[in-house]
Amino acid sequence: VGLFRTAEKMGFQWLKIINKDPRLDGMDDLSGIEIPLHYIFKLASHAIHLVVFYERSGNYLWHGPLRLKQHMDRKFVPFRKLHFGRYPGAYEKPELLLVSIDDLKVQIPKNPSRFLEEVSHSRFLECRYREARAFFQVYPDDASLDAVEFRKKAKSLLHLAALTLNNLGVKFWLSSGTCLGWYRQCNVIPHSKDVDLGVFIRDYKADIIPAFQKAGLPLKHKFGKVEDSLELSFQGEDDVKLDIFFFYEESDHIWNGGTQAKSGKKFKYLFPKFTLCWTEFVELKVHVPCETLQYVEANYGPDWKVPVKTWDWKSSPSNVQFNGVWPVDEWDDVIQIY
Amino acid sequence: MDEWKPNPAIKPHKKRSWYLAWKYKLMNQRALRKLCQTGAVLFLLVTVIVNIKLILDTRRAAYEEEEESAQDYDDEMLNVEVPRRPVSNKKVLDVEVYSSRSKVYVAVDGTTVLEDEAREQGRGIHVIVLNQATGHVMAKRVFDTYSPHEDEAMVLFLNMVARGRILIFTIKDEGSFHLKDTAKNVLKSLGSQVAPFLSWRDMWTFVGKKGGEVYGEKHAKSPALSTWGDPVLLKTEVHLTSVEDAECHWPDTELNRRRKRFCSKVEGYGSVCSCKDPTPIEFNPDPLKDNKVFDVPVAVIAGNRPNYLYRMLRSLLSAQGVNPQMITVFIDGYYEEPMDVVELFGLSGIQHTPISIKNARVSQHYKASLTATFNLFPDAKFAVVLEEDLDISVDFFSFLSQSIHLLEEDESLYCISAWNDQGYEHTAEDPSLLYRVETMPGLGWVLRKSLYKDELEPKWPTPEKLWDWDMWMRMPEQRKGRECIIPDISRSYHFGIVGLNMNGYFHEAYFKKHKFNTVPNVQLKNVESLRKDAYETEIHRLLGEAEVLDHSKNPCEDSFVPDTEGKVYVMFIRMEQEADFTTWTQLAKCLHIWDLDVRGNHKGLWRLFRKKNHFLVVGVPASPYSSKKPSSVTPIYMEPPAKEEGAVAVPAVAAAEQT
Repeated sequence: VGLFRTAEKMGFQWLKIINKDPRLDGMDDLSGIEIPLHYIFKLASHAIHLVVFYERSGNYLWHGPLRLKQHMDRKFVPFRKLHFGRYPGAYEKPELLLVSIDDLKVQIPKNPSRFLEEVSHSRFLECRYREARAFFQVYPDDASLDAVEFRKKAKSLLHLAALTLNNLGVKFWLSSGTCLGWYRQCNVIPHSKDVDLGVFIRDYKADIIPAFQKAGLPLKHKFGKVEDSLELSFQGEDDVKLDIFFFYEESDHIWNGGTQAKSGKKFKYLFPKFTLCWTEFVELKVHVPCETLQYVEANYGPDWKVPVKTWDWKSSPSNVQFNGVWPVDEWDDVIQIY
Repeated sequence: MDEWKPNPAIKPHKKRSWYLAWKYKLMNQRALRKLCQTGAVLFLLVTVIVNIKLILDTRRAAYEEEEESAQDYDDEMLNVEVPRRPVSNKKVLDVEVYSSRSKVYVAVDGTTVLEDEAREQGRGIHVIVLNQATGHVMAKRVFDTYSPHEDEAMVLFLNMVARGRILIFTIKDEGSFHLKDTAKNVLKSLGSQVAPFLSWRDMWTFVGKKGGEVYGEKHAKSPALSTWGDPVLLKTEVHLTSVEDAECHWPDTELNRRRKRFCSKVEGYGSVCSCKDPTPIEFNPDPLKDNKVFDVPVAVIAGNRPNYLYRMLRSLLSAQGVNPQMITVFIDGYYEEPMDVVELFGLSGIQHTPISIKNARVSQHYKASLTATFNLFPDAKFAVVLEEDLDISVDFFSFLSQSIHLLEEDESLYCISAWNDQGYEHTAEDPSLLYRVETMPGLGWVLRKSLYKDELEPKWPTPEKLWDWDMWMRMPEQRKGRECIIPDISRSYHFGIVGLNMNGYFHEAYFKKHKFNTVPNVQLKNVESLRKDAYETEIHRLLGEAEVLDHSKNPCEDSFVPDTEGKVYVMFIRMEQEADFTTWTQLAKCLHIWDLDVRGNHKGLWRLFRKKNHFLVVGVPASPYSSKKPSSVTPIYMEPPAKEEGAVAVPAVAAAEQT
């Protein structure tokens, strides 16, 4: 309170943006007081935009979108020119450094360029809890011991995979069943059997396989090659495996490939072009396609809301296309099972 | 010159067309000409102005369109304006009060503020307190003055109401049977003419101002013992005062602003709203040196018992080392009064849409609250869980600060709790003593985040399972053989008498005489000996030091324990196998400690105090400590009494003392 009085005394006009606290969102319906998201202090033709960051589970910082309420002055400052606030954003927790600028002691991120680089890809999506609750009204959640066990294993596998890939600097996102689980029910789908991640082939690094090995996830199979339909599968705890699908970008679409080991048949899964956004899933900050609905519908068709317990990766997806067969002489290279 | 003669060749003057005539006529009139010129100029000006305006408008519209396309910055949610109560400029309230055998209602200006037609409930005197300036309902109570002691509660309540408030009384069914003279006199002093003469099954309504005038009273005597008085409807007018007259004039500080907001909305909290010397709402307890729990979030799980919440928060905020910023009150439902209490103390409150019923509702509320707590404080490794019906000891945080490292380091620990199930006034002595027990007492405890996130949350009971959350947590599948640390003297006191699992009898029997620590800054003794292996060493040491009592005597008698102080005694009871608690239960019963289920044991050993001596009970042969029993001693066996007609009925509630 003292801050605002002092600012006013100095001649500043200020604006406060508050909104619902997203940390209260979840499967339960909670409501508390609204939290401050942005403050704008204006003096003459200068403006200071104070963005309030909140730390969230998953060890990241989040800030909210800047939305003006009905009574607010839309001309207060040129809002469109602000760097923060178009969308909610997620950032790595930066280490801060105390520096002296113009005799003012301020804190800045220890690695300013890294922080600034995050700004353009910081867009954050909340999980759709309201829709998830509606989903569970129609299809009650599986509360069996098996489901609980599977979810636990999937969560720790995902955390481990995220750690490994982040250490390598490989960008990945939630794909297939894992993405559907996030989008549809904000949780791991109990009957999904494995954890699926997507990586752009341009981000591929040869270190991936040994890094996972070192982390305790040995390579289970490798299909395809870097040039075409690459797919890696790692063995997690018990029966849960981690599938990494590599995505190839064309001019007007994106695709990933699949291989049937016994016949050498190749499959292609097509997606409309998408960009990546951050979200929080099972206490982890991960990427998902920003255009999630399109992505999910491409993969699962218009009936994606209906749970399907028996899924055949060769025929069930809506976007699957037969893509020929690997030449037999390449089989040793493109079909490796351990 | 000749005279001018008309030329006959010229044709005669033809009449001009009337238009032309009119035109020329007009043109000839100067004033009219001027008028038309002015008119034309004006018209021109107007057209120009309109055009300019049009241009500007179009420009602005285009600009705004550009702005609007940046709709990103506009709040999607059209602010649903909370319909504000029309500030009525009325200076008079129309009040209707109805009293009858089966129904009561009170309406203020046409709005029903109380209506009770339900059968078998709501008997007695209903009291409503209105704000004398706004007419808003500040409190609603019902005192079943047919039953004993309710009239005392009513007197207490009425004494706490501020002067000037409007009081409305109405009887449902019967309200005179236990309405004693004291209460009758209080009502008389409020201006009631009828109250001193109220008798069996009379119907009565009364509207008056505390310390002021009477607005109306109506009464119907019951004609015979077996019948009720006729229903009574009182319609009266109450004049409203100005707002200033209805408020106290406290000095303008942030605290008093909170106080003012609270006191104009709610009544029944006594001296916190007195004009002179109001009770403080800010407490400045001594800070705690090296406070290891300063950053631990505190979740207060609350329902709709705002007066309990008020009492609890007062004690919580007075505890040494409390960090109000870490406190969040979770209210199970959209109740206003508990929120008002939370805001009075400047704390943060969150309301939860309740789901399910009875104990499942409580269990879902716990889950939502705990999940939210760890979401709001993602760095926290622990959370303190409290309820609204607990007094918190002044050294609560000091106690936790000294013991929390054990919960962090010892994997065999399930929780730290402030409550000793067996710690009654006659069985607890040492505030610096700690025990390990195989139960989860709750009632003020610390939850490890990893336990909640990894184990409990994923399999928390679903809403349709009517289980008590704490009974579920105590099950072996959840507890997995882990233990809790408790103090000998509890650091919380359970004062709730009304609740889901509570009633007066239950409270009287099991909670009233619970020992509660009031000593500040107690230094816990030998905390390291509470670790898994170190505790065993400590037990063996104690058992070695303990004097074996005379097992031929009756253990229920006081004489069983010699008249000493500070000594350590041991007694051996029969315990055939791990789950054989027959003798223990009988012993607990006769010692008047918790006997509804088995609590406080550690490997078949119980520790308590009797006559200020440390008293150890070992179950033989199930307990590993049986080896300490001298061969000459026969373990005492007590069997449950055979079922007699006069057997005491244990309250038919599950053995859970939670709300």
